[in-house]
Amino acid sequence: MGAVSLSGCAGLTRRVSSTSSGSTDRVTMQVYGTDVETKVYARLAEQFSSERGVTVDLTVVPFADFATGVDAGLLSGTAPDVFRVDYPTMGLYASTDQLLDVTDPLEELAGDVRPSLLRAVTYGKRLYGVPQHVDTSALVYRPDVLRDAGVGAVPDRPEDAWSWEEFGDVASKVRDASPEDGSAFAVNWQAAGAFRWLTWLFMAGGHLYDEKLEKAVLDDDAGVRALEFTRSFFDNEWVPRSTSTKSPTYPDAQFTAGRLGMLFAGNFLVPAFADTIGDRFEYAVTYQPRDERRASELGGNAIVATRDSGNPELAAELLVYLGSSDAMKQFCEASVLLPTRESLAAQDLDFAVGGDLMGVYADQVSTIEDRDVADVTTPTFAEVNVDLANELESCFLGDSSPQDTLGAIADKVDAAALLNDGAAP
Amino acid sequence: MSRPVRYAICILVALIFVLPLLAMVVIAFTPRESILDDGASLWSGDWTLANFSGLFGQFPVWRWFGNALLVASLTTALSVVVNLLGGYALAKLRFRGRSTVLLVVLGTLVVPVQVVMIPQFELVARLGLVGFFWAVILPSASTALGLFLARQFFIDFPDEIVEAARVDGCTTLQAFRRVVVPNARPLVAVMTLLAFMAQWNDFLWPLITLRDPDLYTLPVALRLLQTAYDNDYGGIMAMALLSSLPLVLMFVVLQRYFVAGISRSGIR
Amino acid sequence: MTAPTVAPAEVSPQGAAMTGSPGQARAAWGMLAPNLLLIGVFLAGPLAWAFAMAFQDKRSFGKGTWSGLDNLSRLFGDDVFWRALLNTAIFTAATVPVGVLLGLGLALLMNKALPGRGVFRTIVYLPIVVSSLVTSLVGLLLFDESVGIINGILRDLGLADVSWQSDGALAMTSVVVMTLWSRIGFSMVIYIAALQDVDPQVIEAAEVDGARAWQVTRRVVVPLLRPTTFFLVLVNLIWSFQVFDVVYVMTNGGPGYSTTMLVTYAYDEGFGPARNFGYGATVGVVLFVIIGALTLLQLRRNARAEA
Repeated sequence: MGAVSLSGCAGLTRRVSSTSSGSTDRVTMQVYGTDVETKVYARLAEQFSSERGVTVDLTVVPFADFATGVDAGLLSGTAPDVFRVDYPTMGLYASTDQLLDVTDPLEELAGDVRPSLLRAVTYGKRLYGVPQHVDTSALVYRPDVLRDAGVGAVPDRPEDAWSWEEFGDVASKVRDASPEDGSAFAVNWQAAGAFRWLTWLFMAGGHLYDEKLEKAVLDDDAGVRALEFTRSFFDNEWVPRSTSTKSPTYPDAQFTAGRLGMLFAGNFLVPAFADTIGDRFEYAVTYQPRDERRASELGGNAIVATRDSGNPELAAELLVYLGSSDAMKQFCEASVLLPTRESLAAQDLDFAVGGDLMGVYADQVSTIEDRDVADVTTPTFAEVNVDLANELESCFLGDSSPQDTLGAIADKVDAAALLNDGAAP
Repeated sequence: MSRPVRYAICILVALIFVLPLLAMVVIAFTPRESILDDGASLWSGDWTLANFSGLFGQFPVWRWFGNALLVASLTTALSVVVNLLGGYALAKLRFRGRSTVLLVVLGTLVVPVQVVMIPQFELVARLGLVGFFWAVILPSASTALGLFLARQFFIDFPDEIVEAARVDGCTTLQAFRRVVVPNARPLVAVMTLLAFMAQWNDFLWPLITLRDPDLYTLPVALRLLQTAYDNDYGGIMAMALLSSLPLVLMFVVLQRYFVAGISRSGIR
Repeated sequence: MTAPTVAPAEVSPQGAAMTGSPGQARAAWGMLAPNLLLIGVFLAGPLAWAFAMAFQDKRSFGKGTWSGLDNLSRLFGDDVFWRALLNTAIFTAATVPVGVLLGLGLALLMNKALPGRGVFRTIVYLPIVVSSLVTSLVGLLLFDESVGIINGILRDLGLADVSWQSDGALAMTSVVVMTLWSRIGFSMVIYIAALQDVDPQVIEAAEVDGARAWQVTRRVVVPLLRPTTFFLVLVNLIWSFQVFDVVYVMTNGGPGYSTTMLVTYAYDEGFGPARNFGYGATVGVVLFVIIGALTLLQLRRNARAEA
């Protein structure tokens, strides 16, 4: 019970240090993430504190609640000095002037990051965060299942990526070969992942916004084609009906459980696969299919500092440290994430697990175009993302036609776009 | 209804009601591989403690257990005192505005917490309570339900006892302390259980107001597990079991007083 | 403890209760002060704030601007709001009567001496102490379409999978079932407590076999339990309108909007990525008004029935 009396002091008569804002030699930091990621954060925080002779108070929160905590903290001046944030949510904070401008301290980093990725942390030509890593999806599959289903070769070069039609044939074969009316694959577009549907839109040659980010343009031919194709996933029973965009569970478990032949999965799942699949079955990864073009989504997270941080200099210093080549390398290697620095992307990183899968992911990232990034980093994209989840599901599982669905999404995007003023970099 | 029929129905009902709890316990001890390979099943036949050892490796379980105990105990103590006092005043003392107060209190019963959460947080933060257990304790110390229960109990409380004490020269407060409280044990039992339960089980508010892993309470771990990417049902159920067990034990022991308390607390 | 020895005739307790002295009023306010302070600061204040936000165009960190009835007019034209209202009404209609009636039925069933009665009762009571988060997670485990326990059992029996998560009506059913599981014990415990005050002879008559038992139960026991029923209907009504955790964890409001409830919708608008505080607050305030009105209606009906 020693712990009780100790903590009793800390929470009853003395404020825990991580909730007061920073001071000359102390900085607070809030992160979320997988086990592996949070452990690397702890290690990096420790390295920074011992190098600089300061304290870093690290708090780990669930991803689902991180924004509620930050919002409330920002409203009341108790936000952490430094926190991890996904790119769409960052848009909201940056556009409402909540973040510390770190253009100058991060000058070196900015010179080394691909412009399209730098765009994700830039608002009004100013830099507001460290693009710590980028994630994207690729098609993870089971060679044994595909072989048994009579699927010949699986693309091993980007230029050989399946067309949509070829992919559809593969899916049908895998579905037919699966036991007990099983499904062929699943797409990782659940909950906050709804924006991954945009990858299909981009593949078809479409976009969410016009180039000025003022108006939705997804209800064109490309949009209809993308939505008709993705809806056919459900109509053809290629994917389980429980893997629509509002599903409360992620489909990874169904793949690791061996119920699916293929899964569109983010690279951040690679450690989990190594852990839960082990050697129960063989798995490999190939490129996402292509249509008009190849595409991939911009996932990943940034590290930002709050504008009202108690010690902005120290907070900025921590950001510089986390964005340094060495820290980014450690972080990405251990958590199996893709670095945003060109100098690191060019190297062969020594990933903790699944290094052989990462080449495909790195190639997927290279298909991300500037306009794709612009589409998902508007200040209101986070809410557009929710609309996407809702409307797409009504098309996938309900009886809303693709045209109506796209129209409904477009209306919501347009309504939200009115609030996007001044966001274009 | 004949006795055998009655008995059969009881058994059926018990089976239905026990199923979810049974599922929790069984899955908490089922190896992850088994769930992955064959789905969750009540009779997989495999047993493991790995789900639990995993939790103890991942979270400071004992510390969070201690925190939860501390927060729930303090809240309960404060809540019982505050609601006993208030409930008695509402039931037994005549003053202008009494019915208005009662109406306002009942009104707060219908406020959904999620609706007031943001302003509530801003308030707690402005009061400088974030990072203190008080941020969790104070807002839940006065519950409309507790106050209402106390009032209902005291309405039936014999006036003679109080008047006797008054005649003996006690002030209202003294009479309350010396004769009312000692006679309100069943009420206190019910209020204690309800308040302790509510506070022990809360996770969202502690998560956003305590904001430090050193201060988190046990159910927060459940939230951390629930929102993780992999649906690790084994780990989640192990944590669910751990966090529910103290209350279940407490309830099994106190059940008799709970029923007795409710029957005397005037809800009927 | 002072023994109550004074005869009631000497001071009229009735009189003391009817006319409050200034001293008594002071004591009353003093005793209520801690309570009122806490409720006022931590609940009434934030509630007033939420009311104010409902009339503002306020999104997260921007300054709010007064927008009059804009939020309300948007609300009335919002299909999702009406859907959420309908869902909440369906959920309430499905949970309140069944929850209260089953509680009564089980209380009557398990009130009588029966071997192992204590064990049966405890099993039904136990969900009371299980938190809503745990209930929801267990619900997810049971109703998970692919790896869940119920579909597993069905498969073992040679039956087909049931689409608990991708069919709207079934998803609603799963949410209702878990809610009932967590609530019936409470209704039952309250009824059992109330039955202890009912004349044992009446209860005995209700327990004799045959048609008369039903008559006695319906004509005598149930009316005697009326205040208890009133209380239970009221709290169940409030709980049903405030349903949140179970829906949030088990279905996330889906599939589509099939299980979106008023509170989950308010939460999604206010705390979700949109952070539309003004609109989220509007949904919440409307919900508050609806529950308040229903409660008052119930109270009034009860008062009339008692008179």
